[in-house]
Amino acid sequence: MRPCSPPTFLCLLLESVLPDPYREAIIGDLIEQYTLRVESTSRFSASCWFLSQACRSVPPMVWCWLRSGNCFINISVAVGVFIFMATLKFAADLTISKLVSPDQTTDVILAPIVFLTITAIGGCVAARIRRGATLFLALMVTITVATLIELKVCSVPVPWWYQFGFLTIGPLAVMITPTLFGPLKQQGSVT
Amino acid sequence: MIVRREIEERTGRNISIGAVYATLARLEAKGYVSSFAGEPTPQRGGRATRLFRVEAAGKRALQISEQTIRSMSAGLKDRWGTI
Repeated sequence: MRPCSPPTFLCLLLESVLPDPYREAIIGDLIEQYTLRVESTSRFSASCWFLSQACRSVPPMVWCWLRSGNCFINISVAVGVFIFMATLKFAADLTISKLVSPDQTTDVILAPIVFLTITAIGGCVAARIRRGATLFLALMVTITVATLIELKVCSVPVPWWYQFGFLTIGPLAVMITPTLFGPLKQQGSVT
Repeated sequence: MIVRREIEERTGRNISIGAVYATLARLEAKGYVSSFAGEPTPQRGGRATRLFRVEAAGKRALQISEQTIRSMSAGLKDRWGTI
């Protein structure tokens, strides 16, 4: 019988946030316990338990990992990738401005596409170098977007959800994209 | 998971899996326990379990802690008796 799986989004989030070498063990324990709870209670109750465990498990693990001293290397990697992302964004903006005539509507449509692509690439690059760096990179993206919103860099009037989308989807793209491609790589390597 | 279940049964408190692993990670860093990856199972979504073993330094530290707790408890009982 195929075991019922917990919320995929939460699994992906845990996969991207939890540090090595306990990531596999924690997620495995949660999945095992979730399956048992689905059998004994209900799927909804088990999902609520999974959510509460996920929320409560991340802070102690991240704190433990920060205390271990590995974070300095991860911060360095994150800063490097952030600079790479900024360069990529500059190059993309330059290319777009040469290809498409400057127009407010075009900017509003293209900006999220470019932003999401670059954050996803940045997340993959950071994860490729060092998995833990994605957390710091996501934090840096959040701070940057929040600062740009606060400084009102965007001269075009846009609805609140447009800016909120940048603030939420950007960091999520950094953290979740490497996880989406990660399992494919692992499956490929298993013989 | 066994460690977490055991703590929950003995203390009656609901604790998070992350808190257990964070503590075990600290104990491992101090050399009190060692861990190794077990076999992945379908029940765990194909993820490997982590098995822990108490090392000699851990056993010594545990004995010292147990003695300390026992003497503290004895002191507390004496005080309660006089209050």
